[in-house]
Amino acid sequence: MKTLFHINIRTTLTAVLLILTPVLSAHAQQDSRIQMSSLDHLAAKASQTIDVNIDERLMRLASRVFDDKDEDEREVKKLVANLKGVYVKSFEFETEGQYAAADIEPIRTQLRGPGWTRLVNVTSKKEGMLEVYLLFNGDVVGGLAVLHTDDKELTVVNIVGPVDVDKLARLEGQLGIPDLGIGSPKNKTKNDDEK
Amino acid sequence: MNDDYLWDKTGQPDPQIQQLEEILGTLRYQPKPLALPQKRNYFPLLAIAASLLLAILAGGIWLRVRSRNEAPPQQARIETPTPKPEEKPVGTPKPPVDKAAVNPSPVVANNRRRNRPAPSALPQREREEALMAKEQLMLALRVTTEKLHLVHTKTQPNQIKNQHRVG
Repeated sequence: MKTLFHINIRTTLTAVLLILTPVLSAHAQQDSRIQMSSLDHLAAKASQTIDVNIDERLMRLASRVFDDKDEDEREVKKLVANLKGVYVKSFEFETEGQYAAADIEPIRTQLRGPGWTRLVNVTSKKEGMLEVYLLFNGDVVGGLAVLHTDDKELTVVNIVGPVDVDKLARLEGQLGIPDLGIGSPKNKTKNDDEK
Repeated sequence: MNDDYLWDKTGQPDPQIQQLEEILGTLRYQPKPLALPQKRNYFPLLAIAASLLLAILAGGIWLRVRSRNEAPPQQARIETPTPKPEEKPVGTPKPPVDKAAVNPSPVVANNRRRNRPAPSALPQREREEALMAKEQLMLALRVTTEKLHLVHTKTQPNQIKNQHRVG
């Protein structure tokens, strides 16, 4: 009877683990999603607001309307193929001081969490502070976050999923995305020449 | 003939009766220990069913919590105020790329390539939703690349300076 009880417990635990593993792993993948609801109230003060929320379902739906015959669209489709979501909140203000550091603190707190690494932090008087964060799941990039805080602007970008930053940089100049001069060595040379 | 044998097995038995006794004796009651049919053990099956139910419930609750946490609107919102007559000071020019990339009107203007008919046969409503999602996605990618460009332009001079130092 005791053995039978042990076998039953083992069977039950195995079944529970088998079922819960995909659920738990899916939950772990969602960790790179940043909650930005603390910024919602700024929309009332902003002169221009960009609010993009694309979850996995919309991402899959959008990738169905990319034209495979078009090389540019094919590239974008490849880039977004494995992404789980893209979220952007951007506010532009007429005057300075429309948002406080406390508004951004919940986002910074999340970005200080495990897995996130601040890759770049640029501070300038003209452009404010620009920070680029990457979330690493082992050696694989599991998410990207960009935080731009200026006197009159606040932008948070959050890409959920395995994002290829090099590929993203290569998107410049395609599909209405301006050629910004990062990514290809040719563009870099051109930009340097211009300087 | 004495019938006592039939009553209490006394007296002389009849050979025919004896023969009958021998034949029917094989069917005589023989005491055996009581053996009840063994009940089938349904416990493992019940345990698995219960754990499956529990897991499905947990998954359902998790999905519900997740969907509740997600922002409800699934479309881009771009708000621009009515243009004001006064111009901004000339002293602080911004890179021309920035506003062009974020400004909603160029977004709409540059959509001519993206509004091609979808290659796959989607229902009209789903296709509209897909095209809208694609627009948002492109807007998000534009904002992202714009910010990455800013990072690049800010970090590149330092790299060049460092290269010169090394050289």
